Amino acid sequence: MSSKSAILAALDSVAIAKHEMPKVAIAPRLDDLVGQFDASLKAVGGSLVKDNAIEALQQQVAALVAEGNQVISQVAEVSGNRETPEDPHALRDINYAVIQGELAVAENGSVWVTEQGAGIRIAPFICENLYLVVKADTIVANMHEALKLINLQDTGYGVFISGPSKTADIEQALVIGAHGACTLTVYLV
Amino acid sequence: MATTTTANHAEKAEIFCRDEARVDWHSKALWLLRQKRDRAASSLPEWEELRELGSEYKLHTLSHLGEYLEQFEANCIKQGIQVHWAKDGAEHNRIVHEILAKHQVKKLVKSKSMLTEECHLNPYLEQHGIEVIDTDLGERIIQLNKQPPSHIVVPAIHLKKEEVGELFHEKIGTEKGASDPTYLTRAARQHLREHFLSADAAMTGVNMAIADQGAIVVCTNEGNADMGGNLPSLTLHSMGIDKMVPNMEAASVLLRTLARNAIGQPITTYSSFYHGPKPGGEMHVIIVDNGRTKALKDKLLAESLKCIRCGGCINTCPVYRRSGGYSYNYFIPGPIGIAVGAQEDNTNTTAWACTLCGSCTYVCPTKVPLDKIIAYQRRLKAEQGTLPYGKDRYMPIVGKVMGSATLFNCAMSVARFSLRNLPNAMLKPFSGAWGKYRELPKAPKTSFEAWYNKNRSE
Ligand code: SF4
Repeated sequence: MSSKSAILAALDSVAIAKHEMPKVAIAPRLDDLVGQFDASLKAVGGSLVKDNAIEALQQQVAALVAEGNQVISQVAEVSGNRETPEDPHALRDINYAVIQGELAVAENGSVWVTEQGAGIRIAPFICENLYLVVKADTIVANMHEALKLINLQDTGYGVFISGPSKTADIEQALVIGAHGACTLTVYLV
Repeated sequence: MATTTTANHAEKAEIFCRDEARVDWHSKALWLLRQKRDRAASSLPEWEELRELGSEYKLHTLSHLGEYLEQFEANCIKQGIQVHWAKDGAEHNRIVHEILAKHQVKKLVKSKSMLTEECHLNPYLEQHGIEVIDTDLGERIIQLNKQPPSHIVVPAIHLKKEEVGELFHEKIGTEKGASDPTYLTRAARQHLREHFLSADAAMTGVNMAIADQGAIVVCTNEGNADMGGNLPSLTLHSMGIDKMVPNMEAASVLLRTLARNAIGQPITTYSSFYHGPKPGGEMHVIIVDNGRTKALKDKLLAESLKCIRCGGCINTCPVYRRSGGYSYNYFIPGPIGIAVGAQEDNTNTTAWACTLCGSCTYVCPTKVPLDKIIAYQRRLKAEQGTLPYGKDRYMPIVGKVMGSATLFNCAMSVARFSLRNLPNAMLKPFSGAWGKYRELPKAPKTSFEAWYNKNRSE
């Protein structure tokens, strides 16, 4: 018997009585979604730009490029100085990545990014600093609302990103900047 | 796999307890996590509802597990994901090695996975000439220190920053005497980045596998799973059969409780949904039983498979906090470690490394009845005739004494007399481990019963 058949056969009779599929019936907290998102994002170490965000981002990136930084941008209105490569290793020297997020979650400050938005899966992780652009009217209250809207059939890879990478593995001291981006700014448009 | 060790829980705890200052520090560090968890939980009015939902989704899935595993496999295949089944750790390791050998992999970067720890994958691959780099900072620290994890979420919680500094100085060339966590973390980032960029394959654990999508979810704060998983073209993901959830709605419930209960964050920095190989790449999922279907045959042990490995029960445990992760004779410590590992403990003592205070059950986000399972593990040990040394002798006597009012009252008056009249030094040996670091109580002159009869009985 193959291991698959053996495992499935063993699962034919389990000691747990059949349980019905439950249903989430939690009312989302809808007051001031932008304010909630802002507070959550700060709490996880990120920052938010919401006034004239696209102009602010364009100016910021232009200045970074002028200083000689390596910037990759997947957002049409913003131009970086690097192309999306086929081999992800080619992005090892990226200083800044500008990526379009599809929706944002108020309760935890996260932004949903897919491989289409990122151009290449590694982009939001390998860069030193990450700029995420997200539309204000895509903010939802919580993860239940977020996962209702996401259709994984459209993508092979997606990730909720909540703040810059962090660790507390040495004596529980929080250090921002572990393996992924060391800073994260969300531009709300 | 049974740990071949003869030291029992109390003996191993004693080693940890020799350094009193460290014990206090360890206990406080974990209690801090518990406090953060409490703040995160109480910030959600629906917290209890989420725990109930978490439990119900898990019970539903476990009671239909065969169907969901098959649905998951079919959806994975549609997405171009290759699925493998392993009945035990040895088969899991063989499958992993075959895939790696086929691609001539020399270096594998791995992100945290308790399952690969359970299967002893690292030594197996190293024997076959494959270099394995653990990439979670805590895991890398203990890998360099040649130690197993002492906690499932914060694996290097037993080490002080000075010790990490010393280790890093020796192994990755940080400055001598440097112990600043930010400096050490930055150095590890550089060191591990080289490994990420030069690895031939990456491997991760799985937090959830979504049946109706054919997707797996991996949660990290550091981004190591994604730095690994998104660079080399070959990626492998190992999961126990208990990681299954039916759909996105179930995942949304667990994603709301996991990080809040683990470390007090609203969600981990990264919650990644892998739903197919990267363009031109290969993605493998290995589904592992290794004793889980056996646990599912027992009504109470089956509930331990609701666990989502948040570590919350470990952080709150008064015994774990003061005995350390290496005292449990199992690779998972604390209440959940006893619940799933007591039968592997051939010293037959870890089932007693618990006060049955119930704090673990109270914090668990999927309502695993940990205290009930631990009490049940003791009963199983008694039924197997494997009570730890001493307990087999006095337990039957305790039963008799407690069962008889005359014997009990008589024993208590002897105890009161002894506590009042005999020197501490003579009595202390009788109080067992309890008396070791404590003073014995002052005994009252009369029993409560006698006092009550005299003063209040009219
Ligand atoms: S038993 Fe519950 S509290 Fe303990 S690790 Fe598992 S999910 Fe967390």
